[in-house]
Amino acid sequence: MSFQQKNITVSLVNFTLILGFFLFRVIQMLQSDSFTSANIFRLWGITIGLAIVVTIIGTILTHIVSAIIEAIRTGKEDPKIEDFEDERDQLIDLRGTKVTYIVSSLGVFLSMLTFVFGQPPLVMFTLLIFFGLVAQTVGDISRLVLYRRGF
Amino acid sequence: MGTSRISNNIRKLRFNNGEMTQQQLAEKVGVTRQTIIAMEQGKYSPSLELAFRIALAFGVPLDEVFSYDPETESN
Repeated sequence: MSFQQKNITVSLVNFTLILGFFLFRVIQMLQSDSFTSANIFRLWGITIGLAIVVTIIGTILTHIVSAIIEAIRTGKEDPKIEDFEDERDQLIDLRGTKVTYIVSSLGVFLSMLTFVFGQPPLVMFTLLIFFGLVAQTVGDISRLVLYRRGF
Repeated sequence: MGTSRISNNIRKLRFNNGEMTQQQLAEKVGVTRQTIIAMEQGKYSPSLELAFRIALAFGVPLDEVFSYDPETESN
């Protein structure tokens, strides 16, 4: 597994966990009748903050763990990690980003549809971030599939 | 998807060039080892520039490294 694949796997795990946390909190709010704008916007902030922090920490940890594994494998003190992106990595990343955009565009459209059904803006905002997280997760999955299957 | 119409002799050429490793070839042409593996397995068709760099690394013309078969099932 290449460094890029490891990075994507870490991102996929992180965003799946964040999505799980987000859904858990929303369900909790719905059950306890605390599905209010103040709570939802707080959850927005926490989710976005978590996504940024976890992405940074995930990337750093992937570097460290890859270096440790490479050092054990090669026996060198200063191992070389192939963390640069070549043309294949860039193409796969581009295709993954395309999938992310398609899913998030669909998500925005579906979120806007809630207005048609007379739902309050709160529902739209909740669905927006939900589809944002789903889009990132699906994009990561498509990247991993492209790495395994080839194109 | 996955089977390319472009086939290559990279594996054979590596062995004919003093058993060059995938890593050595990757470093010579400026890509990752995974990309060389993907090309050898027919899972990736390189850009024209990379194809020329590979041919140059082996010191042979492009058509000795890559060949195009229009009959091969693709996508």
